[in-house]
Amino acid sequence: MTIPAQRPPSEQPSAAMSLRGLVKNFDTRLAVSGVSLEVPAGSFYGLLGPNGAGKTTTLSMAVGLLRPDAGQAFLLGYDVWASPAEAKALVGVLPDGVRMFDRLSGPELLAYHGLLRGMPADVVDQRARDLLDVLELGVDNRTLVVDYSAGMKKKIGLACALLHAPRLLVLDEPFEAVDPVSAALIRDILQRYVTGGGTVVFSSHVLEVVERLCSHVAILSDGVLRLHGTLAAVQADRPLQDVFVQVVGGRVATGSELAWL
Amino acid sequence: MAVTAWSFVRLKLRITGNGLRGRTARIVVFVLGAVAAGFAAVVGYSVFAVPGLLDNPRAAGLLFPFGGALLVLGWFFLPLLFFGVDDSLDPAQFALLPLPRRTLITGLAAAALAGIPALSTLAATAGTVDSAARLGGPGAAFAQVLGIISGLVLCVVISRALTSAFAGALRSRRARDLATIMLAVVAASIGPAQLLLLGLVNRADWDSAASIATIVGWTPLAAPYTMGLDVAAGRVWAVPLKLLIVLVVIAAMLWWWSRTIEAAMSGTAGSRAVGRATRKNDNRDPVARLLPRWAPRSRFGALMARETRYWWRETRRRAALITLAVAGVFLPLSTVFGTGGAGAGGLAVLVGAIAPIGLANQFGYEGSANATNLATGVPGRLEVHSRAAAHALFTVPMLLLVAAVTGFAAGGPGGVPAQVGMLLAVYGFGLALVLPISVVFAYALPDPTTPFALSSGGGISKALPSLGAMVGALIGAIPVLVAAYLLGPVWTWVGLPLGAGYGLGAYLIGANLAGSMLDRRMPEVLAAVTTR
Repeated sequence: MTIPAQRPPSEQPSAAMSLRGLVKNFDTRLAVSGVSLEVPAGSFYGLLGPNGAGKTTTLSMAVGLLRPDAGQAFLLGYDVWASPAEAKALVGVLPDGVRMFDRLSGPELLAYHGLLRGMPADVVDQRARDLLDVLELGVDNRTLVVDYSAGMKKKIGLACALLHAPRLLVLDEPFEAVDPVSAALIRDILQRYVTGGGTVVFSSHVLEVVERLCSHVAILSDGVLRLHGTLAAVQADRPLQDVFVQVVGGRVATGSELAWL
Repeated sequence: MAVTAWSFVRLKLRITGNGLRGRTARIVVFVLGAVAAGFAAVVGYSVFAVPGLLDNPRAAGLLFPFGGALLVLGWFFLPLLFFGVDDSLDPAQFALLPLPRRTLITGLAAAALAGIPALSTLAATAGTVDSAARLGGPGAAFAQVLGIISGLVLCVVISRALTSAFAGALRSRRARDLATIMLAVVAASIGPAQLLLLGLVNRADWDSAASIATIVGWTPLAAPYTMGLDVAAGRVWAVPLKLLIVLVVIAAMLWWWSRTIEAAMSGTAGSRAVGRATRKNDNRDPVARLLPRWAPRSRFGALMARETRYWWRETRRRAALITLAVAGVFLPLSTVFGTGGAGAGGLAVLVGAIAPIGLANQFGYEGSANATNLATGVPGRLEVHSRAAAHALFTVPMLLLVAAVTGFAAGGPGGVPAQVGMLLAVYGFGLALVLPISVVFAYALPDPTTPFALSSGGGISKALPSLGAMVGALIGAIPVLVAAYLLGPVWTWVGLPLGAGYGLGAYLIGANLAGSMLDRRMPEVLAAVTTR
């Protein structure tokens, strides 16, 4: 089993996730250049950035899916590349753009995740039923995950990440392709999780969601961390939209070009 | 500017050209395909020209109807198997453009005619013109030219109409899964079919075949290809009749196509039955649904149960199993027909060496889904052992069957246990080689939602390690073969434990090596099998 030995309270890390100088090159392109970030335990951390900013690459390196060219990543105090078993045991991950074992049905997939986490079968059964019920995926549904809609795939992925009651959740685009009702449900689940002492790190490019949920925000563009801190500090009394556009740069209004439209 | 058929042809050529731009692998595949099509055309031309060269109208009377019918049937069935051979112009792409149906259909037909398969078919059937000219002079040749042109149009229109009619069905995952498996069954049964055909040819009754050929010649399948022969035989009156038959069928197909094309155009939107509950509900607990009753409720049990499901539910894996099963039974059996059973044991050993190949790119089957196991920190040895166990769950019974078949083919059940031992030795040694290969030489397979994107380029170089493993497994079995030879009759008794022990020992060494390699390399394996 991979439940790590309890550490003495004095060593309890204050950072749930700690990234130090992460660098990743793809062929010749620099995807992430030196990202350092401290995610305090108990925070609701939003990672913002335009498409191709390096959000997925950063999170993949943070949870041990992608080996960084340089830098370190710590999850709950454990180096994810030096002691992966301990680091991964208390973390739940929802990757984006990654297939699941989608030739299993939803309940089968949850059972698979639960047993892989070393949970007893009866606990897996009970929690899986709860999650399938709450997320309205159908406890007795035989449909294979490959035939789920995009929103249902996100929900079953989230259920898999939550199943072992991790202390840290790393979610890549959890609200993408999710309908408004499900999105509200997911928001509620995540807020309750944070209130209960958990930490959430998630990436998004939907500013409204971030503004509503997060205690902390980081803005990434072109593989560089442009701005990070508490939501209030980053916003400085401006709408997040304005801050984002200013930091990332780019055009938000047309001049005289499209006059014929 | 009016949209003409020519616009469609230009569009198709442009799309084909752009698809090749700057991608060496695709260019190589395209050139290989073109060479193969050219080769098929030359072979077809030669075969069809032979009756003329031999001045043998009787042979032509058999060859043209049957050959032609086979060709039309090929155009009929292949699109169903290979939807997407020509997806450069999918009708769905034109759904939003204000095009009259007539323009669309003539355009798509013209574009389909301007493709390598159509050109190759035309060139191959041109051999019949050659024959007709030699047998019946210019008149027959002219009639045959009419025939092959109308035949080509018929082929193209049939295949397009059929694709269009079944477009909705072919886009669903289940139908395409089924098609992949059918393809495997067809490919695997080519060998047995050849045997059957040879047997039939040996006792064929040529006169009844000739009368069947005459009848086939009057069906739309072969009518286009027999017109020249009718002229040569003095039945000029048959030509307009056959031409009429072909034209009527073409018209009917065009009408059918025009009926179905709108359904095909809207096919991409909303055709998937999403989240639909299949069959009746299943009330068992999630764990009981994943794991069979006998499996341990542990990580190993979960991993193995998932693998077992995948060998059945993932179409490429199931296709591999079916091929192995057909080959496994057929290879030893074939010796009964040829050599009276001698050498059956040798061929069975070959089956034992082929069996592990299914695992040579085991991480490629699921691609990025392996992220789950990496994110949950599954130890490499556990991963490798569970995968091998699931594979053995299917393969070992199959090897037992092969051993039994071989034993009876070679004339006695007494040798079956020793044969099982031999097969297990080869299989175990093969696994020992294949498992590390699957870690080091992992590569991405094409997205499973497009099962006919078979070539991801460099196919041969990727298959080399697994071929090496097969040869290696055969070499690795040499000590067991030597032992069998030296021990003589004693081998019948000690063969099973000796062979099984040898195979198990080899497997344990190879699997543990692969497991520790996986612990070091899993992120790299994941990156290698992820399609971008």
